[in-house]
Amino acid sequence: MELVLDGVRKVFGGVVAVADVSAVIPQDQVTALIGPNGAGKTTLFNAVTGFDPPDQGTITFGGRRINGLPPWRVAELGLIRTFQTPVGFTTLTVRESMLAAATPWFMETPRGAFGLGPGFGRKGRKLERDAEIRTGEIAAELGLEDLLDVRTDELSAGDRKLLEFARQLMAQPKMLLLDEPAAAVAPANIGRLSQLVRRLCDERGLGSLIIDHNLSFLMQIADEVHVLDQGVLIASGPPEAIAADPEVMRVYLGEQAAEGAGP
Amino acid sequence: MTNPVFWVGVLTLALIYGSLAMVLNVESGWGGMWDLGVAGLLASGAYCYIILGIDDPDLGTRFVPGLPMWLAWPLAAAFTGLVALAIALPSLRLRREYFLITTLAFAEIIRQIAVIQADLTRGTTGFSSLDRPFDTLVEPRDYNYVLLGIVAFAALVVYLITRRIGTSAYGRTLRAARDNEALALALGKRVNRMRIKTFVVAGVLIGAIAPLYLFYIRAITPQLFAPGITFTIWTALVIGGIGSIRGGLVGAVVLIVFTEAVGLIEVDPQYINILVSIEPFLVGLLLVLVLRFRPDGLISERNAFGTRAGRRARRVPA
Amino acid sequence: MQNIVFGIVTGSTLAVATIGFAMVYRTENFLNIAHAQMMALGGFIGVVLVDSYGWNIFAAGAVTVVSVGALGVVVAAVFFRPVRHLGGTVLLFTSIGVSLMLYAVIIALFSTQARFYPVGFGGRYEIAGVNVLTADLVIVGLAFASIIALQVFLNGTGLGRAVRATASNGELARVRGVPVGRVSNTIWFISSAFGAMAGVMIGVLSSVNAEIGWHHILTVLAAAVLGGLRSISGVIVAGLLLGIVMDVSVLYIPSAYRPVVAFGVLVAVLVLRPEGLLAVQRRKEAAVT
Repeated sequence: MELVLDGVRKVFGGVVAVADVSAVIPQDQVTALIGPNGAGKTTLFNAVTGFDPPDQGTITFGGRRINGLPPWRVAELGLIRTFQTPVGFTTLTVRESMLAAATPWFMETPRGAFGLGPGFGRKGRKLERDAEIRTGEIAAELGLEDLLDVRTDELSAGDRKLLEFARQLMAQPKMLLLDEPAAAVAPANIGRLSQLVRRLCDERGLGSLIIDHNLSFLMQIADEVHVLDQGVLIASGPPEAIAADPEVMRVYLGEQAAEGAGP
Repeated sequence: MTNPVFWVGVLTLALIYGSLAMVLNVESGWGGMWDLGVAGLLASGAYCYIILGIDDPDLGTRFVPGLPMWLAWPLAAAFTGLVALAIALPSLRLRREYFLITTLAFAEIIRQIAVIQADLTRGTTGFSSLDRPFDTLVEPRDYNYVLLGIVAFAALVVYLITRRIGTSAYGRTLRAARDNEALALALGKRVNRMRIKTFVVAGVLIGAIAPLYLFYIRAITPQLFAPGITFTIWTALVIGGIGSIRGGLVGAVVLIVFTEAVGLIEVDPQYINILVSIEPFLVGLLLVLVLRFRPDGLISERNAFGTRAGRRARRVPA
Repeated sequence: MQNIVFGIVTGSTLAVATIGFAMVYRTENFLNIAHAQMMALGGFIGVVLVDSYGWNIFAAGAVTVVSVGALGVVVAAVFFRPVRHLGGTVLLFTSIGVSLMLYAVIIALFSTQARFYPVGFGGRYEIAGVNVLTADLVIVGLAFASIIALQVFLNGTGLGRAVRATASNGELARVRGVPVGRVSNTIWFISSAFGAMAGVMIGVLSSVNAEIGWHHILTVLAAAVLGGLRSISGVIVAGLLLGIVMDVSVLYIPSAYRPVVAFGVLVAVLVLRPEGLLAVQRRKEAAVT
């Protein structure tokens, strides 16, 4: 199961946000997509996950064309994304949020509510029990076990970020798409975060694509790095090679230099 | 106090409104669909029930199906479900205010059709003196107690159905999608289909409650289904606490007892307009006061009422 | 052709009715259902002044417009401002509550009987085979004069420019030190005054009864949504179009379906173009309104 982008292009009102990006994101590793703000990272994410389909190009996952599919269908195929600002299901508790993520669609119908349809009887009860067990396990793994009955909007920002992982893992993804997981995380905790992401993915044989602009975080965690600048993929390769690439340095250092020299 | 029959009637009406408010809570409170078209669904159910039961050719209607009550009732519920589907398919593509306006417009279209299609509905004349369940078994003056019993049973059934929905995985996902639609989609939730089904289920339930309302009113004209009845049901739900399972029922009892008690005041006929105006005034005042001082309603689900629209607006995060 | 003339008259009153509604939506960000009750109230105050006290129609209209405008400011201060921080949904439902209360006041004061304006402007002209009443000309003329006056106020005075600034970006206007309270009062005054004027016009054209508020809220909503909810000229065009469509439809389908046509157009437009029929115009208008 690999995610393949082929000539993906997205234009907003005449401005090319993503320009003919082609890349292969394999399932057995952590792939990073870096680039300065406005490079088109989130646009690319929205294109892959069906929230904002691309204007041109094809996107396939496991050989299956997914561009043009609605977001929920892309998610059902196993591509689960997170959001930059982990708002969550505000009025649901941690437990409810996690269980909701794991519930199969046929139990989320009026029929399903009355135990009818495919979720009828023993099968339905087993699914519910399994989901509850997994909720306990994943919550324990992420240190959320004491917060299971706390409402999402009453969690601290850090715990909400953990819930974002816990919830998306409950959906049993084949590949996780993480949108700036290190945003708003204190620098001291970045190391812990990268270990956590690594471990979660390795244990499950889970592919992941991470976008961020925090270079040091991504260099610690990624097996392969793609660099996006103004919608164009300018470099791809292992982290060490990328770190040494003069073009990448120009994009990043240029940006920093400009910031330093700013008025 | 005064006449017990009067209070039996008040309680009957309160339980009918309460049942409707509990159904409204499923689609609006949990489903996040701000439906201002309850009157249209209620009218669909009521007219379908009445028309299927017409057995007197002298009424001058085009069809005289003469179906028995036990057959007309479920057919009316099913028909209302179909009407709900027809409304949901275009409307649910819209968000917030636009959904609200569309449902209100559909309800008015249905009411106007009831006025215009006089060969089916007898227009503004409407129907009166309809048969009621078990009305041959008791003296007419005791029938109010029978009707209260039927309505109380129906309210219990509606309560059990909505509670089951609220506590099930289905209800949980409805609330999740209401809180954060983009996230629900990203987790593979079929948000739109789920909402359409919910709207249809609400339609079927409202259609099933509609005949009870007719048994209470004992006559039907299009004017019964003006937007006012939708606003009254909404007021009951807001007072009781939107999002809570029993809120609609509690709110309806408070609201109806409060406003109907005014009917006990005896006034000189020259002040009759003032008496007539007291009910809408109290409903409006209660709504305004509850929203201002207790926006979560009497029974809170601890849902922040005010911010929900803003959250639902978010589809694709930046 | 005759029906197009009817449509223009209906559309002019509809445009006047909708402008006030759209202004409040633009600046306060909620659908003010109570707006239509202000129309009904205006219609009744006018008819009482003319019919019961024998006032001249123009004097009665002027007094009605000013008094209902002032009432709008009071209603906003008492009911809407205190819940403003709770967001658009609470404001919308509060406006439903206010509607019910105003409706009750109307019944208590004016009863549920329909009332007629005993005014005839006399003359009837025949222009190219089309009948035009003087009343029609007066109403269309007044509608456009008042809309032009509003534009002059918004573009030509300091307070008007402050209103426009608040409409295009409320936060920015606040930061820049626009007199928020005065601007808000002005908006509510203009909105309710235009509502009352539309109420009097509708009364002169047909009659006034206690239910007209509920009857007109949907046509107002329809015109506002068709116009894209945000631009004044969009609302005017939408009001006229809707009026003409309703009155011309009478030629092809039974006249009883006239209101259904308006709602049908509304639903169709919402489904086909959720941003409103004239959404393209909206971008151009953004700076103007």
